[in-house]
Amino acid sequence: MNDLLKHVLDTRLNRPMHRRRFIQGAAGLATLTVLGAGGSAFGEEKLGGPLNFFGYDGEQGANVAKDFLEKNDIQLNAAFAGAADETLTRFKTGGRGSMDIMTMNKDFQRSVIDAKVELFQPLDLARIPNAAGLFAGFKDANWLVRDGKTYGVPMIWGDEPCIWNPTKWQGVPDRYTDFADPKYKGEIVLLDDPFGNIWLFAKSVGVKDPSRLTKAELDKAVAAMMTIKPNVAAIGASLGDMADIMIRGDASMGLGGWAYQTIIAKQKGVTLVVGSPAVDDRFFWSDAYAIAIDAPNLANAYGLINFITSPEANATLATELGSGCTVEKAYDLLSDDMKKLYDYSHVRAPGAGILGAQTVVPKQEPEGDIVGAQAWVEAWQAFKVA
Amino acid sequence: MSSADAVASMSTPPRSSGRGGVPLMLAPVGGFYLLFFVIPMCSLFVLSFWRAQGFDIVPTFTLDSYAKIASSPLYRIILLRTIGVGLVTAAITVPIAFALSYLMRFVFERRAQLILQLLLISLFSGYLVRIYAWRTILGKQGLLNSTFTWLGLIDAPIEFLIYSRFAVIVTLVGLLLPLAVLPIYSAMSNISRDHLEIASDLGSRRLYLVRTILIPMALPGVNTAFAFTFLLAAGDFVTPNLVGGSQGIMIGNVIADQFRGTGANWPLGAALAFVTVSCVMLIVWAINRVIRWVTRW
Repeated sequence: MNDLLKHVLDTRLNRPMHRRRFIQGAAGLATLTVLGAGGSAFGEEKLGGPLNFFGYDGEQGANVAKDFLEKNDIQLNAAFAGAADETLTRFKTGGRGSMDIMTMNKDFQRSVIDAKVELFQPLDLARIPNAAGLFAGFKDANWLVRDGKTYGVPMIWGDEPCIWNPTKWQGVPDRYTDFADPKYKGEIVLLDDPFGNIWLFAKSVGVKDPSRLTKAELDKAVAAMMTIKPNVAAIGASLGDMADIMIRGDASMGLGGWAYQTIIAKQKGVTLVVGSPAVDDRFFWSDAYAIAIDAPNLANAYGLINFITSPEANATLATELGSGCTVEKAYDLLSDDMKKLYDYSHVRAPGAGILGAQTVVPKQEPEGDIVGAQAWVEAWQAFKVA
Repeated sequence: MSSADAVASMSTPPRSSGRGGVPLMLAPVGGFYLLFFVIPMCSLFVLSFWRAQGFDIVPTFTLDSYAKIASSPLYRIILLRTIGVGLVTAAITVPIAFALSYLMRFVFERRAQLILQLLLISLFSGYLVRIYAWRTILGKQGLLNSTFTWLGLIDAPIEFLIYSRFAVIVTLVGLLLPLAVLPIYSAMSNISRDHLEIASDLGSRRLYLVRTILIPMALPGVNTAFAFTFLLAAGDFVTPNLVGGSQGIMIGNVIADQFRGTGANWPLGAALAFVTVSCVMLIVWAINRVIRWVTRW
């Protein structure tokens, strides 16, 4: 009897799984469980086969999870997004039914949940037992939970500081608008990200909530950006591309960068350092794993997320990506340098401190005088064309 | 059937098997064309009349996207810039490809295959790899700047070599040259050397000979090469993204932005794509007419 049940379970779990089939399968499995197939705890789930990842480069955890993937015979197929928004594009243009794990930043995830757009499914936290070890700020985080359902498990967090070549610059000025100084001519590289850049300059010109701009405030922020345009050498297509530009020596000052770029540079024998303007500071982010609606390899997706949320894997991933860890016990496993890189008081506080309070990405639609995301995109294009 | 009949039937070209023969033979091509060109284009065209609302698209009929394109100086500037880059790229690539094809066909005839293979080898490497290779050549600390510095020709790197419209055009020329050589060389392969020698013996000067014999006979290849390079250059968005810097944005980048999540506007992106396609097709047609007109005299 048990052999028969095992065979049925294997057959069910190894098939490509679509939403309807999953529901049918789940109902069948529940019945089988009651009939005496044994406990269906996470550890007994049959893993193996493909796992499709779409998100930021590095966050698939291929190195960190190498043994886990090999042991469970999981083939990780990773494709990368330049911006969180691309997950939605991919999902809407044929990706549905083929995407499993996605990674995205908190603001985008919040926008998608608020707009009730179909993209990711509520998570069954019973299948991610390691999520219980997350920092307090990441449990029930306001960008991950709606109506009691959790839609993401954060794996790293951090900020978008300035990255520069210390052989050319000793530090950064107090404000982003100070980068208009002609001494920076041909030295600045930005990321091709309308929201991050406009947010930084809106803050620099004194807007109280830079994620909610009126038309006049948007124009003011873009006018401030225009003052640094003569100094902009390049606009990186991705964070990796931005790092490549600095490593090649084509630019020496990156605005809105990522600490991970220093690690990429170090691997290529180039020293880059991190810092932020004293007055304008920087914005914070957190990336989370989410599971796509109609994910065909659900067991593998849950398996990988649970694995990466273990203290050891989370500490290793955070170190590899030069980011903050999201699991309380992972912090103890970090090197002293890594511990100093970020202020963990934000994520230890319920609500995640500035991380939870700060929003960077604007609302998709306008609200009264507040312009929508489309206006930001157009303003960014106008900046690039000028 | 006798063996003679069998041989005769084998040597006779196959004929259409009745009225339905030609449509039947065209069916696979037609089906492919319908499935991978007509249907997607029609879908995109319909989409351009819909409306974006939040992260959703509302199926309605509105000319808002086209009105926005017509009224926005931003899109006009980018479109003109894109057409300019496409034309300059084609204007540089096609003559180089023509000269190269001429050399392969009439000067280094015995080495033609070798040259062709060398050209085609570059296509074996990935598109992105070739763009990054141009970055290595054109960068501030790249091959050109390093060589010029070593030769003592410059004190500081020439900055416009990389992350500029110049870099976009140079990279596109490098990427598209093999594609332009193929149709021109193919057309020239059908030109008999005798034609040129007879014209030359009759006193035609070299330039006259090129204009009145070589170009008209290679015209189908030239037209194809021009269309290839212009369309691919005008439609590219990866090259401007990677080597265009803060000056290199083209319409492809703007269209791509309209399909990327937050702030996206798919109907506007679709309308921009159609306006762009219409403009470039019109230009290809016009250039085609001009070339025909010039070579007629």
